[in-house]
Amino acid sequence: MICFERVVARYPRASRAAVDDISFAVPPAQITAVVGPNGSGKSTLVRALLGMLPLVSGTIRVEGLDSATRDRRAFARRVAVVTQRESLVFPMPVREYVALGRYPHEGSWHAAGVEDARAVDDAVTLAGILPFALRSTEELSGGEWQRVRIARALAQAAPALVLDEPTTFLDIAHEMAMFELFTRLARGGTAVLLVSHQLNLVARFADRIVLLHQGRVAAAGTPNEVMRAAVLEPVYDWPLVVTRDPAVGAPALLPLRGSSH
Amino acid sequence: MPATTELLFAIGAGPRVVGRTPWDLWSDSARRVADVGVGLRPNIEAVLARRPDLVLLYATGENRAAAQALRAAGVAVIALRIDRVEDFRRAARLIGMATGDSARAAAVVDSVDRTLARVRSRTAGLPRPTVFWHVWDAPIITIARGSFLDELLTIAGGRNIYEDLSQPSPQVSLEDIVRRDPDVILAGPDGAARIRASATWRSVRAVREGHVLVVDTSLIGHPSVRMGEAATVLAHLLHPAVVQ
Amino acid sequence: MKRPIFWVLAVAILAVLMILGVSWGTVPLTPRAVLAALAGHGDRNAIEIVRALRLPRVALAALVGAGLGVSGAALQGSLRNALAEPYLLGVSGGAAVGAVIGVALGFSSAIALPLFAFAGAAAAIATAILIARAAGGRADPRVLLMAGVIIGAFANAAIMVVLSGAPANTMRSALWWMMGSAAAADWPQVAWLAGYTVLAGGALLWFSRDIDILALGEESATALGVDAERAGRRVFLVSSLLAAATVAAAGLVGFVGLVVPHLVRAAGIRRHRALLPGAALAGASLVVLADLVARVAHPPAELPLGAVTALVGVPFFLVQLRRLS
Repeated sequence: MICFERVVARYPRASRAAVDDISFAVPPAQITAVVGPNGSGKSTLVRALLGMLPLVSGTIRVEGLDSATRDRRAFARRVAVVTQRESLVFPMPVREYVALGRYPHEGSWHAAGVEDARAVDDAVTLAGILPFALRSTEELSGGEWQRVRIARALAQAAPALVLDEPTTFLDIAHEMAMFELFTRLARGGTAVLLVSHQLNLVARFADRIVLLHQGRVAAAGTPNEVMRAAVLEPVYDWPLVVTRDPAVGAPALLPLRGSSH
Repeated sequence: MPATTELLFAIGAGPRVVGRTPWDLWSDSARRVADVGVGLRPNIEAVLARRPDLVLLYATGENRAAAQALRAAGVAVIALRIDRVEDFRRAARLIGMATGDSARAAAVVDSVDRTLARVRSRTAGLPRPTVFWHVWDAPIITIARGSFLDELLTIAGGRNIYEDLSQPSPQVSLEDIVRRDPDVILAGPDGAARIRASATWRSVRAVREGHVLVVDTSLIGHPSVRMGEAATVLAHLLHPAVVQ
Repeated sequence: MKRPIFWVLAVAILAVLMILGVSWGTVPLTPRAVLAALAGHGDRNAIEIVRALRLPRVALAALVGAGLGVSGAALQGSLRNALAEPYLLGVSGGAAVGAVIGVALGFSSAIALPLFAFAGAAAAIATAILIARAAGGRADPRVLLMAGVIIGAFANAAIMVVLSGAPANTMRSALWWMMGSAAAADWPQVAWLAGYTVLAGGALLWFSRDIDILALGEESATALGVDAERAGRRVFLVSSLLAAATVAAAGLVGFVGLVVPHLVRAAGIRRHRALLPGAALAGASLVVLADLVARVAHPPAELPLGAVTALVGVPFFLVQLRRLS
């Protein structure tokens, strides 16, 4: 369970708050998606959660633990975060990289136990990267690397999972596979917070959508409630139409041509 | 430079000297002469300001431009190199001719030669202690066969442990010095202090036995009118019982 | 390369090089003479050469190499830069300024000069951290690197100013010191460097897991529970101080901290818990070898240690160039 309570955060030397009085919860066993146009504060929220951006006011709590806590490892045991980008300077075998996700659980003597090995195996299987688990990280394609990163987060075995644009480099098949994975994780009890541009996929898979606009919550609710032209058009400032495909059963968004604006 | 300034004063041309380098300090009369700057790449303006008829320069490639500039300004230039004993005799004669004091110059050379001969004969029959001459220790630099100090050492009845090398100032290693096992180490006051204070130099027998002798580097450094005195001092250091 | 083979090889190579370092030198000695000298029998001069000159020297060279190897490996990981080297971060510049000032003031003993060098290095490290903090507060590796480069440039200028007005002897001593040498090694120096290296190396080994995580980047490291800023600063500080100690002991011995971690990584060692000790062994071997070459290449003279290790840098960069293209 992740709770954002009246969170206000501002970048140093910025005049305006990037995140201005945001409150919402990410309950367990659900996928909560945060969407919004560029600059609406989505990634800022993730950074604030990580503690990389100090809060002006408000709190962020994961499983009751404040994000400003000094016990970073305890925090990392409660929430695993997959950021937008990551590149490795020194390559290593994929499995070794995934095993780094066990760091929050390792004791002072940094010894890996049986439990750690099992968690890594589970993560590798779940993320579907078994075919290349022994390859080196520098040999992976963009999509493969993305899935490996998610595997590392899964190895953390935390009750909450935060993903910032996790499907950027994935093709349709892998994208769908990822979202289905998130669904499986949620069913298993994980509180999943998903930041994504992919409104249509989010509409299909998320249990709740939080729409951000200029640092504030413009709308929050089920996909049916939020995915409406009347709600989305003012935020995205683009003409669009929301339809419903019977094969899918969820609202789908179609942007119109700009000239008809 | 010190050697030529001393020569000029020794042959009686002192009153005619109008400029010197900062290190020509041996006699009080020399001190009273104006300091016109260093002898390597000299300050032409400062030299010309003293309106000399003749300039004695250290003969080296670096001073070629200065020599040309001075000659172009109408000043006579003699470039000299006084690195060995023989150079001294030649230089003295040359300067004597240039200043018109040939007789006095010859007399100076004679006097020095006689003193050197005297030292040579005093030490001729004596056992020659092997000597390491310390010039610097970071890196370790000594003098070998091609240098004036080596000549002086031979005259004074000593034997340079590096007489087999022919460069004037080779760099050597402490190991090698230990192996060559000198009886005596000669060093300037700073060098001697550093050697005595160093833990690694204690590997050398001469240091352990306390045979580190201090020489006055200003006296000993270059061939000059005081060469005789230098040889005598050195001979006394090496053979204290015999030479006064 | 299989792990056990690497360690066996690393230890064996170091042992062989150290033995060679004691047996060979400017003065040729038969193996029997060397053994006798070690035991304390035989020619007094041979005993002095082997026990008082060569043994401490080889020991010092090994410690310097180990310290630089470990420092380089830790810095490359925590700064996420494969070309990071302990000297890049102001350590060498600061130490050189300290030493040059010491020489200019007339200090040259084996005790005073290292202290000056260490003080200079420590000041440079502190300045680098202050600059990085003033520039933004976060331990962004690029900021630290730039701070180090700035300090290095400033140090060079300071050295030139001090040396330009100095007499020839001062300049000669200063330059000789800056080119690096294990020639002044004695047992007290070896002892304190050994203690220092064990302490600092041990601390870095304790941080080795943190360095693994720091190598992922600030965001990922934070996500995994590492206080990136604090941990980064800790590693930077200890690594730099360790490098400073090696500089105090033997002058500037470049390229070791840069090249050695790459050599060990090429053998397949990645996790810093193994990489750091591996770099210690490889670094020790490299510098012992360099010191040996410095002594036997051109007798009776000695080459500066830094010159020999610099020659190592050339093939290294050529290889890197090929990998890039």
